[in-house]
Amino acid sequence: MNSDRFALSFDDYLAEKNVLLYLNDAVTQLLEHKEEYTQFGVVRYFAEYFNSVKNGNHVLFREFNYIKASPHNRASFIRIFWRCFRQIGKNGDLLAAMEYSSLLQLLCPDFPTEMVQNAARIVLIDDALDSMMSFSDFLYSFQIQFYFEEFLESVSVIYQDLLSGKSPNTVIVPTSSSVEQLNSVAEDETKAQEAVESAIFAECIEALCERLKHNHPSPSTVREILANSQRVSFYGFLMAMTKSEEINQDIGALPNKSELLIDPEMDLELERLIAQISVSPTSNSSGSTTGLKELPKKASPRKSLHHRKRIEMESDGSTEETDSSEN
Amino acid sequence: MADKRRSGVSTVMSDSKATTKAETDQEFLSQAGVGVLLRGALLKLVEARSEDPIGFLAEHFSNIASETENGPVGGSDGEHHSNVLEQQQLSRALWHIGLAHHSHRSAFNSNTRVAYDLLMQSGSRRHVAGGVKGRVYTELLRGLCSEGGLSVTASAPLLLRIRCHDHEAVPFELFRQGVLTCAVFADYIRKSQCLYAAVSSCPERAADRSLCQAVLGTLQEALETTSPWSDVARYLEASMKISPGKLAQAMAEAQGPDGGGMGPTMDAQEFEDSAAKLFLTRVRIVS
Repeated sequence: MNSDRFALSFDDYLAEKNVLLYLNDAVTQLLEHKEEYTQFGVVRYFAEYFNSVKNGNHVLFREFNYIKASPHNRASFIRIFWRCFRQIGKNGDLLAAMEYSSLLQLLCPDFPTEMVQNAARIVLIDDALDSMMSFSDFLYSFQIQFYFEEFLESVSVIYQDLLSGKSPNTVIVPTSSSVEQLNSVAEDETKAQEAVESAIFAECIEALCERLKHNHPSPSTVREILANSQRVSFYGFLMAMTKSEEINQDIGALPNKSELLIDPEMDLELERLIAQISVSPTSNSSGSTTGLKELPKKASPRKSLHHRKRIEMESDGSTEETDSSEN
Repeated sequence: MADKRRSGVSTVMSDSKATTKAETDQEFLSQAGVGVLLRGALLKLVEARSEDPIGFLAEHFSNIASETENGPVGGSDGEHHSNVLEQQQLSRALWHIGLAHHSHRSAFNSNTRVAYDLLMQSGSRRHVAGGVKGRVYTELLRGLCSEGGLSVTASAPLLLRIRCHDHEAVPFELFRQGVLTCAVFADYIRKSQCLYAAVSSCPERAADRSLCQAVLGTLQEALETTSPWSDVARYLEASMKISPGKLAQAMAEAQGPDGGGMGPTMDAQEFEDSAAKLFLTRVRIVS
C-alpha cells in the first residue's frame, strides 16, 4: 500500500491525479449538452463520465486540447487509435504520413498534422518523409511523439545545443567544467557525424527529467538506451525509445510488438460481418444492427468507426488520392 | 453509453449554445444539485485518498445513482427483485467498508456504520426489528473475506465462529466487531504468508519444518500474552515477543549448530493453516 499520497496536501493530490481537470471537463460538457445529458439524471451522467474516463473511452471524438491534457488521456488515445485501426496492420498495408493523419482525424477532428509528421520523422529517420510506413512502426513512434511531446521538444533543444558545441542550457546542467570540457572535445567531431557523445547527452537528459517532474521516460531506461553506443544521433535516440519495451510498458497503452495485431474478437466480428454482407449485399445496414444485438457489450462508437474504417479501407485500394483528401 | 452520447461533441462546439448565459448556467447547476454532489464526492475523496481517484469517483457516482434510481423500493416486485436488490446493497456495503483500512479506525468505524445503515434498509418492510438480518450479516462477512483474498477453505472456520443465524437480528456493535475481525483476519493471513516466504529461503523449495515451528511458536507466545495491568502493556509485551531479534533467536536455536541440512519441510498451506489456527482459537464463538 503506497502511502505517499497521504503525505501530499489535498490540492497536490488532486493535481497529481488530474482530478480537477476531469471534474471541470465533466461540468463543462454537462453545461454544453444539458438537455441530452440530464435525461438520465445528473448523478448518472457523472457516473458515466468517470466510468468512461476510467475505461479510457472518454477521449473518443474529443478535441485535441482535451486529448493531450493528461498522461492518462494521451495513453487512452493511443490505445483507441491502436484498437480502431489495428486491422490495417494486420493486412500489412503501408500508409503514408498523410493517410495516418486522416485516420487520426477520424478520432479527433482537429488532430494536428504536425504531430503526425514528427512521428513519421522518427520512423523514417528524418528522411524521405512521404515514404510509406507499416502500422506498427508508425504506432510506436506516434506513441513516443504524442505521449512525450514536451520532453522530446526539450531533448531536441539539448541535442541542437550539444551539436553546435554550445554548452547546453545552463539551467538544465548547472554542473561543472567537466561537461564543457568534454563538450569542446566533442565539438570537432560532432558536426561531421551528426551525433553527440552519449554520456553527456544522458547527463543532460537526466537533469531535464528532474526538471520536468512528470511525463518523461524513466531516467534509468534513458541511461540504458544511451549506454548502448558511444555516440548517438537525435533520431537514433528516438528510434531506440520507440523500441524500448520498458517505456512501452510504463505508458501502458499498447502491448508489445508481437501481440500488437492479435485480436480474435475483432476477427470473428469481421468474419461475421463479411458473411452477412455476402449473403445479402443489399441489406448492409440491417446486418450491422443484428451485429449490435448479438454483442450488446460493445460500445457503439467503436462499431461505427469500424464501419467507417472498412469504407476507408475499401476506397484505399482503388483511389488513394480521393481517400486522403476526403478526410 | 457516455461515449455514445458524446459522439457529436467535438464537431459541434459551443457555437450554437453561445447564447447561453452564465447566469442560467449557474441556475442550472444549483438546480440540478451539481455543487452539492461534487462537494460530497470531494469530501469522500479527501477521506479515502484513493490510489485511483478516477475509479473512486466513478464508483462513488455509480453508487449514488443506483441508490437514487432504485429509490426506497420494497420487495414489491417479488422475490427475485428483492434478491437482486439485496446483492446490490451488499456490494455497496462492501464498497463502503473497503474505503478505509481498519488501522484508520475511526474512518473504518464510520464507514462500517454507513454500511450497517444501508443494510438495515435492505429487505425493506420485512426487516427485523433491532438490527440487520443475520443472513445478510453472514453474507457480508463472506464477501469481506473473499475480497480480502481469503480462499473459501481459509475463511470457513472463521465464519463458523462469528456468523449468526439467518433469523437473528444483529446489533451494530456485533456487526462492527464481526466486520473488523474479518478485515483483521484477512490481513493476518496475508502477513503470515509473507512470514512463510521469509522463512523459506528460496521460493521453489519448501521451508524447513523446525524453522517454521520455531516461528509459529514465537507467534503463539506473542498472541497469548496476557497482562495483569492494561491492554497497552499487553500490546507492548506482545510486540516485544515477536520482535525480529526474538524471532531470529528462536530460529537460530531451531536450526541448531549443524547449520540445517535437508530436514523435513513444511509447505506453505500447512504453515498458513497453523497460523490461522492460532488466530481462530482466540476468536470467541458468536452463536
